Amino acid sequence: MPGTPYPKEQMHRIAYTKLTKEQISEKLSAVSGPTSASPLSDVFAGKSIRIVTDNGPTLSYTFNGNKQLSLTDGNSSAVNAGYGAFTLDSIVFFSHMIPNTVRGYAVAIDRSTNLATVFDLWFCGYKDNREVQREIYYGYVEQPGQDAPKARHATTDRMEGKGFYWKQDAGAETLELYPSTSYSNFVELSRLGGELSFCAPSDYVKIDENHYIYTRTECEFSGTFTGYVMDLNRIEQVGTRLGFKANDELEYYVFRGNGKWLGQFARFEKLGDERGAEPPAPAPGKPAVKGARRVYRPFETMPKMTRADVDAVCAKSSTAFEAPSGPARAGGAGAGMAGNLGPNSDWLAGKKLTLRYDTLPAMEYRFEDAETLHYRKGGRAEWIKARYHAYESCPGVFLFGHLLQDEPNHDGHMVVADFDQGLVTCFNGYLNTPYFANEAGVKIHFGVIEMDGLIPPKYRRHELTDEMVGRSITQNYSPGLTSMHVYTTPHSLSWVIFTDTDSGGLEWSGPAGYVKIRDGLYFMYWLEEACNGTLGTILVNLKAMRDVGIGYVCGARGLNMGAIGAHERLVGRLDVVPFYRVRESGRLE
Amino acid sequence: MTNKPTSSRRTFLKNGAILAVPLAAAAAPAVVLADDGLKSRLAKLEDQATIRELHQNWLRQINRANDSEASPAATTLFADDDDAALGRLVRGIAADHFGEPDAIEVSPDGRSAAGRFHCVVETGTPIAKDCTLAQMAHAQGSAFVRSTERRVLNVEYIKTRGAWSIAKAEFAAA
Repeated sequence: MPGTPYPKEQMHRIAYTKLTKEQISEKLSAVSGPTSASPLSDVFAGKSIRIVTDNGPTLSYTFNGNKQLSLTDGNSSAVNAGYGAFTLDSIVFFSHMIPNTVRGYAVAIDRSTNLATVFDLWFCGYKDNREVQREIYYGYVEQPGQDAPKARHATTDRMEGKGFYWKQDAGAETLELYPSTSYSNFVELSRLGGELSFCAPSDYVKIDENHYIYTRTECEFSGTFTGYVMDLNRIEQVGTRLGFKANDELEYYVFRGNGKWLGQFARFEKLGDERGAEPPAPAPGKPAVKGARRVYRPFETMPKMTRADVDAVCAKSSTAFEAPSGPARAGGAGAGMAGNLGPNSDWLAGKKLTLRYDTLPAMEYRFEDAETLHYRKGGRAEWIKARYHAYESCPGVFLFGHLLQDEPNHDGHMVVADFDQGLVTCFNGYLNTPYFANEAGVKIHFGVIEMDGLIPPKYRRHELTDEMVGRSITQNYSPGLTSMHVYTTPHSLSWVIFTDTDSGGLEWSGPAGYVKIRDGLYFMYWLEEACNGTLGTILVNLKAMRDVGIGYVCGARGLNMGAIGAHERLVGRLDVVPFYRVRESGRLE
Repeated sequence: MTNKPTSSRRTFLKNGAILAVPLAAAAAPAVVLADDGLKSRLAKLEDQATIRELHQNWLRQINRANDSEASPAATTLFADDDDAALGRLVRGIAADHFGEPDAIEVSPDGRSAAGRFHCVVETGTPIAKDCTLAQMAHAQGSAFVRSTERRVLNVEYIKTRGAWSIAKAEFAAA
């Protein structure tokens, strides 16, 4: 029976072992250096170099062939270590661990300038020992009789918005998107089957106009570090991967790779601003923390509730479309994700209709006014009253939502009713999902609208689509609250938060789905799994560049259905769709 | 690994006010000799210089602040409930070079003074942590809606034991 590329658990669902320092040391001591699928470079074989870094170590290397080196770190004694090196044009990249420690270095040297960037890498620097920590030092290779160069490699935003397909020499295929200056979004095509994308804190360092260094550390997941130098024109990479797989096996290798350019998203920094992400500032009066980086850790902070917890909080409080509390003002600061929503429509008030779904009992509706409806599910005798809101995205197409009563999983319906076509699509949110009961799940139901004067189609339906895949759109919900969606795969999206200088900042992702309502009008959802558990739904109108939406979330304060509304900007599109097509062999393209 | 500042803007405001004591103490005492107009004028000029330095140091403290936490203390800069109700927090104050010159009036008895400073105020309204995006913005340290307005900063000063300090500061419309 042929195998599939899909994992038993996706990365955000794996309970990674909390490895001890002893376990990590033992695994590291079992290897003599990085493995490689390609012949290693001997560019440094028989040579000695001394790397001087700013505010960092001075590293004296002697390379004995292409697999062994000797390192003197400052004034310490020389140590021998296994290493692997590759060249990319004038750049040499090499990596090694330091025996009997849990640390090592990855180094990029540009021989044309003698500038060097050193990544100091170590395990056991965070409460999750397996998460690789890194500090970046910039410097140069000392040249006898020459003054130290003044220039340095530097962090940059010049990589922001780019996306690449990469295939490493050992066969690993990924899509790697860089929509942020401090995070990146990657899709494991060969390792995980390319269903979902994931996000990781990242570094972007400029070597020259054509060569850059990228890193990511898979925080919140395996903690694995990947770092490489890339040539933007030839689309080639040389780098290293260091960490522990889901089965705790050490993964330490150097690689070459090549790929394809997928395109370029727009950037939103002030023109001429090419600064990269700054590390977090130290506390006043305190020295900088080695390895400091901003990491979004939603799993740590999300509420984790049992089914009993969910039933209890839902019984206590289940609300829909409550007016914002506190200092919120319509359209102003504090309006949250509904600041640019627009008015609640009363078009449905007084109407009676039946939504006849293909895979869900028919829902009969009587709309009493703009905020009150009565529904009857599956031909039951009694009508149930519910609070609802409806938003008209474009003439004839409405998004409305309401909670359902007496449902064991506390369902909520978020419905796009397309009166021009007589079609309806429902995102049926529900709770009591397998991992955490307060995490929302969703089922998609297609159907038709039955009402006086409207003849619906017999066969036609709204359809799942990949037309949005690869696109990116900013969403300004209210002053100060703007995100950028990246529709990375047909089954997931990511969202990026902007910094004060309008650079892409923290980023996270979740499973998603896309339904085409008509050209330029898409109904989509995302699930904040292992995050806050929210089901977000939006109806994106590309012509009007606005979205209306409804969120469905359960937390300690109960179940809430609330409105979302944003003004959008088109960021662009990366050519990723072909990579999700299933080939004849059954594997991804 | 993250690194979060621990001090708050409240600390900076407080420190700014306290800073007045050594500054004022370092300045020459403004001894007023009633029958000597020249010495009286000199004392007034010295008081004004001391207050100006106090003001500049206080502003420097505010502008240096680099924390992202909301500071209820900063709302006391607002004169009335209408302004405070805006939920705004002062993030920075700069001289308004299109406004009127700074004015510092020392009372005849030399025990109090009033300053009037045209300025540009940057305020930041904190975003409620009521959704994932807002939580991420807070985690990133950019969870404020920033705006800039031209205002007049009216400050009352008091001299105790020979040192000037800020008694009250409030904004008024420019």
